[in-house]
Amino acid sequence: MSGTSLRPMAGSVAVLVALATLPWWAGDQYQIHLAALIAAWWILVAGLNLVVGFGGQLSIGHVGLLAIGAYAFAILAGRHDWSPWIALAASGGLGGVCGLLLGLPSLRLPGFYFAMATMAFALIVAELVLALGDLTGGGVGLSVPGFPEPFESPAGHYLLMLGIATIITWCAWNVARFPWGRALVAIRDNPVAAESVGVPVFRMKLAVFVASGVTAGLAGALFASLQSYITPDTFVFELGLFFFVCIIIGGRGSIAGPLAGTAILTALPELVAPLAKLGTLFYGLLLLAVVLLVPEGIGRLFQVILERLRPRETASPVLEPDAARLAAAIRRQERP
Amino acid sequence: MLGVLITGLAIGALYAATALAYNVMYSTSKVLSVTTGHLAMLGGVFGAWFVTELGWHPVPALFASLAVGAFAGWLTDVIAIRRVLARSDEHLWLLSTLALATIVQQGVALWWGTEPKPFPRLLPQDFTAGLADQKYWLPIGTTIVMAAALELFYRRTLYGKLFVAMSEDAFAARARGVETDRLRAISYGIAGALGALAGFAAGQLTFAFFAVGLTLTLNGFIALAVGGLGSNVGALVGGAALGLLNAFSANLIGGEYQNTVSVGLLMIVLLLKPEGLFGSRRVRPV
Repeated sequence: MSGTSLRPMAGSVAVLVALATLPWWAGDQYQIHLAALIAAWWILVAGLNLVVGFGGQLSIGHVGLLAIGAYAFAILAGRHDWSPWIALAASGGLGGVCGLLLGLPSLRLPGFYFAMATMAFALIVAELVLALGDLTGGGVGLSVPGFPEPFESPAGHYLLMLGIATIITWCAWNVARFPWGRALVAIRDNPVAAESVGVPVFRMKLAVFVASGVTAGLAGALFASLQSYITPDTFVFELGLFFFVCIIIGGRGSIAGPLAGTAILTALPELVAPLAKLGTLFYGLLLLAVVLLVPEGIGRLFQVILERLRPRETASPVLEPDAARLAAAIRRQERP
Repeated sequence: MLGVLITGLAIGALYAATALAYNVMYSTSKVLSVTTGHLAMLGGVFGAWFVTELGWHPVPALFASLAVGAFAGWLTDVIAIRRVLARSDEHLWLLSTLALATIVQQGVALWWGTEPKPFPRLLPQDFTAGLADQKYWLPIGTTIVMAAALELFYRRTLYGKLFVAMSEDAFAARARGVETDRLRAISYGIAGALGALAGFAAGQLTFAFFAVGLTLTLNGFIALAVGGLGSNVGALVGGAALGLLNAFSANLIGGEYQNTVSVGLLMIVLLLKPEGLFGSRRVRPV
């Protein structure tokens, strides 16, 4: 391991240890619940980040995939008494399949068309959840079972989600730093140039979209068992917007930025009461401010401030004229 | 059956009017603004507010709603388009108009409430008129007049011709001394007024409801994509087709699958004819 990547590595291990011991030092149950909620959202955002932040495909409808995962888990584990673990895997798989079905036609479309297609997908899922009342409980909703021991208690459930979130983060980080991630960024920045250097643009976009569908399905299942009761009102379109805002605010093309964005945006309205009343309006204002002022994301803002505070020592090169060689060159020119 | 036909045409007229507003903004900026449906929503909500709550006569209320819509359109350009277009990142306008649309929608929800409120009668007419009721023919008539007026505007006036010139080639227009920034602001104002007019005329159909904006943004876009981006005839045909399809499917298989049917239509058209029925073929960048 090279010396440069050692410090962030040590930092993330320290953060991970702090998070893993949270149940022992948290003030109350509510904080653990909030942390578990952040973990659930991050599992979805980590996958979506590869699509939006790296691939540049603006999907605003991932809440539809989240709802599919949540309802799949509730129906399989709750009504058909499947083992929660198999139901969890099935939710992720179903999310991936739905991501494939959504991505196959829509990823061929240009920017605005794609965003509208994903938004329409979210609205269709919301519509079907209400329409297929026999399966989903309609407007009344469904109760969702939890996980077996030792993950039954709130703390255990939180640790389970933290574990899955860590694995997902590690996967996303691996995708991002290897040629995959580079190819995705190339697709985002210039699809024509990417295609001309041999990046399989459509297959690449589809692959990360399916992966994001899997994480959305997993996040839906975990979120549902965390809430223990789901209704169609949980999965409103504004929630999809929230995931999207987390990524844009955190900064596109990074992993730490959207992670911080998810944590802050989830916790902020819970801790500051007036913001909760504003709700989605607050996210809209934040998104507008970021897009207009720092389109690279808040993470970039911190970087700039740090660079201001701690100016890097720039070596000022002093050029000494090599008098002898100069004279020789001039003489050579004069000779003919 | 006649009832379904007329309902479909009326709601289709609203979609078509939204698509026209999309087109006006697209012609000068090549931007499809997420706020388009919200402009119509503002027309409906403010119309209801002026007439019901402030007790105004419908005529001044109409003009005040148009002013609100035009102002909102102009604001879209100033806040979400101008700075972003200067930076020329093709995704940023989508983000900024999405943010503005969210702000408008949630702002209206906080101020006006999240329940749909009834829109007042605009003309004295009995409620027994049935299918000849004003809530059906007001949007249809308004949209037809709107499309005809736009066509005249593009063909007969200097400003209309400047719009056409800008939609053909904005750089060439600028090189010829056309003030492209001012024209774009004007076109957004016009689009805002058109959207508000459509929302006002169809208010009795949709009610004064904050969530109408997002529905119209989606359905107006589907009408536009089906008819062909940039074509006003396409917008009318696409809107009518979408409205009729929605009405007949609601009649046959029930109203729960509205969005599914609309998006199904969009997908079929995009698969068979990606540029839409009346659109010009997009050139693939190579």
